[in-house]
Amino acid sequence: MYIQGVLTVAMINIISATGLAVFTGFTGLFSLGHAAFMAVGAYTSAILTYFLGVPYVLALVAGVLASSVVAALVGYPTLRTRLRGDYFAIATIGMGEATRVILENLKITQGARGLPGISQYTTLPVAAVAAAIVLALARNMLASVYGRNAVAVREDAVAAEMSGIHLLRTRMISLVFSAGCAGLAGGLYAHYLAFIQPVMFTMVQSTQITAAVVCGGTGSLTGPALAAFVFTVAPELLRAAHMWRLVIYGLMLVLIMVFRPQGLMGYRDLSWSTFSTLAARIRRRTPHGKR
Amino acid sequence: MLLQTTITGLAIGGIYALMAVGYSLVFSILNFSNFAHGSVIMLGAYAGYFVLTRAGAPFPVAIAGSMLAGAVIGVANERLAYKPLRVRNARPLYFMISAMGVAIFLENLVYATLGAHFYSYPEVLGRSIVRIGEASIGVLDLFALAFSSVAITGLHLFLQRTKSGLAIRACSFDMTVASVFGIRLDRVVGLVFAIAGALAGLSGVFLGMKYMAYPTMGWITNKAYVAAVIGGLGSLPGAVVGGIALGLLETFVSVYVSSIIRDVFSFSALVLVLLAMPNGLMGKYVEEKI
Amino acid sequence: MANAETRFSRVSRPAPEREGCEGGGTPVIAECIGLTKLFGGVRAVSHLSFKVDEGEILGLIGPNGAGKTTVFNLLTGFYRPTSGSMLFRGRDLAGLAPPAIVGLGIARTFQNIRLFSNLTVLDNVRSVLYRHAPYGFAQALIRSPRVRRDERRVREKALEYLEEVGLAGRAYDRASHLPYGLQRKLELARALALEPVLLLLDEPAAGMNPEESMSLVGLIDHLRRKHNLTIILIEHHMDVVMSLSHRIVVMNFGEKLMEGSPEEVQTDVRVIEAYLGEEYASAYRR
Ligand SMILES: Nc1ncnc2c1ncn2[C@@H]1O[C@H](COP(=O)(O)OP(=O)(O)OP(=O)(O)O)[C@@H](O)[C@H]1O
Ligand SMILES: [Mg+2]
Repeated sequence: MYIQGVLTVAMINIISATGLAVFTGFTGLFSLGHAAFMAVGAYTSAILTYFLGVPYVLALVAGVLASSVVAALVGYPTLRTRLRGDYFAIATIGMGEATRVILENLKITQGARGLPGISQYTTLPVAAVAAAIVLALARNMLASVYGRNAVAVREDAVAAEMSGIHLLRTRMISLVFSAGCAGLAGGLYAHYLAFIQPVMFTMVQSTQITAAVVCGGTGSLTGPALAAFVFTVAPELLRAAHMWRLVIYGLMLVLIMVFRPQGLMGYRDLSWSTFSTLAARIRRRTPHGKR
Repeated sequence: MLLQTTITGLAIGGIYALMAVGYSLVFSILNFSNFAHGSVIMLGAYAGYFVLTRAGAPFPVAIAGSMLAGAVIGVANERLAYKPLRVRNARPLYFMISAMGVAIFLENLVYATLGAHFYSYPEVLGRSIVRIGEASIGVLDLFALAFSSVAITGLHLFLQRTKSGLAIRACSFDMTVASVFGIRLDRVVGLVFAIAGALAGLSGVFLGMKYMAYPTMGWITNKAYVAAVIGGLGSLPGAVVGGIALGLLETFVSVYVSSIIRDVFSFSALVLVLLAMPNGLMGKYVEEKI
Repeated sequence: MANAETRFSRVSRPAPEREGCEGGGTPVIAECIGLTKLFGGVRAVSHLSFKVDEGEILGLIGPNGAGKTTVFNLLTGFYRPTSGSMLFRGRDLAGLAPPAIVGLGIARTFQNIRLFSNLTVLDNVRSVLYRHAPYGFAQALIRSPRVRRDERRVREKALEYLEEVGLAGRAYDRASHLPYGLQRKLELARALALEPVLLLLDEPAAGMNPEESMSLVGLIDHLRRKHNLTIILIEHHMDVVMSLSHRIVVMNFGEKLMEGSPEEVQTDVRVIEAYLGEEYASAYRR
């Protein structure tokens, strides 16, 4: 039962990490507020199932839409300038605080005490299927013209723009996709815990997602997913280190930027072809003997 | 009421400006958001507290001590977490992540070692109140306002009148060109972080006196980042204007609307300013060379 | 500046013929009128006027800092002109964003190479072939058969462009691992992939040795004929400019110093003066 719970949370974290990987790892933008997008998704879907009896799946979809809309509203004014990724990052800090204040003061969210008694619809199979779907969608998006535009903008915004790629449009698409993933993760989380509170969606949560993406590797999907899994499961195994977990995350972010900025799996992804190319490389090497 | 609100707003705005200036100064040189600035402020607050209580030193010594601590931490932060990125010309995203890492590391290190305990400053300035006409104003607010004005003016004079200040301005204009003209980048960057750290220490003491010292107090600096963006990233006058505007806005909203939704207002102000003026109130539109 | 002299002395071969220009009735494709750009007090471009005829290669030369790159930055919408106007096929370019200008048919390369350096050579070209992948976002998410078909096409197209500049063999190398000269060729392929009408080349031969730059000359001329391109060429290698250009505009301190055929430019005292300074010019006069 306990293990199932940990795995369910791991799946949910994989979903939000995948979303942030698209935004940070592939589009090259920084967000400090993905937890706020999760909060929007969590509260929207929980309110819909709890007060209005909306079916679970529909409520999740509504959560995704709500966080995408919020993201678009924040993104439009802040993602326009060519070389100022900072604007968006700082706006997300403000958004995080504004979201918390609003959630703590609205009637329907029941303030800081939170919403108890949400139906526990999210089981491990549900979360696992959702994670698989999100990973597949993200992979498809990245293998399409939308993903290529994003990567071009990350690599060189000026060259991309001078090649006819619309910066704002490209960034907005990545952001909306990314926030949608966070919204889905939030909805799943609410219906797993059966109880949500504004304090659950603060910097700590955002930090955990960011750490997973940075460690997993920029330009990789499987890396962040793997890291999100490890970062959820490992602290459970090492309960004693709980206090120090965030200290270690912080240190890890710095060390990775200093020594291996591309992360563990930078610009690579695990797939069947990874293994076959690896095998081919080994085969190619053996007959020649040298190097 | 109006006068009192304005002066309180100016005092808060002065602290915001002080924090925003340190952050903007780093931005103008290295072109990234130093999210660790808030943690340096937090450590400055602790340093001031310990100098006052454990060493029993007088208030001016506490201020000097926390400014020194801030400067040392700022420089160490740069050397350890940013310099390796700087020498290989890493993109701003990586600096931001590294800065974020430092912030999380320091904040939680304090939390893990000193605990979540709120340390309240001894009442050096007392809670005394000055009456000006109808308004009653805290001495602390007046002190904060005076100190931030002095510090910011001092910084301005330093940048305008000294050789080192000129070097800093040259680097903020164009780092590569400046280095071609024989300016030693490491030194200038170190100096900038020392100044920003010292300002952080100073604002830490005032924040500590106003709100106590605790691990997550650095997040009050979020307001400074917002202020700097409203004023125009990288512009020092912008940071001052943005800080004061934000302080006034927040105080007026708290008094006349509701203190609960104050943060929603500051966030909306940020978004609206950027919608109308993509480079902030005083940020100039720089045409990048390609 | 010392080797500018040697560059001049290496000048060679008459300009290549331009098909269908005898009547002098070639339509003007692009035109700058009184173009001016100030940066603070610096007059980077000052009252510059010139025309580009369809199908020609127009050389744009001038000493360092003359304002050549700024002209490209203006034409591509990266900077807004302080005053003056730019017409492309009769349309005013003022106020258009770079993507809109690319859409009208202007593509460029960069003086300081700007590739997508962490990507493969192939992906550098694929990245700009968005016109061949016009499917919607929903289709992309489910990777519909249409997406697969378009993506196959994008890949083939990208390989064709690489083939044209001779980079097909290195399609899977990381762009940043290519030697300098090949990186310039990759930029050329990427610009070509935008299917431009007017191609702006900013020092395509910079950093190349004489053999490399002469092979580049052949390549540029070949590409111009094959794709019906009009080209504005900024270049410091005089042999490259002189052998490719039909006409040359010389800039100095942001202004147009003169305009003429390669022969005229090579023998003009003002040009030599601008490049080599007063003394050389007076020596030349004697
Ligand atoms: N973004 C900018 N901001 C300020 N000044 C600029 C900017 N871009 C160009 N300049 C100035 O404008 C002038 C012309 O520069 P430009 O790059 O157009 O010259 P160029 O002819 O291309 O020179 P080169 O042969 O060295 O490439 C120079 O004095 C340069 O310093
Ligand atoms: Mg140039």
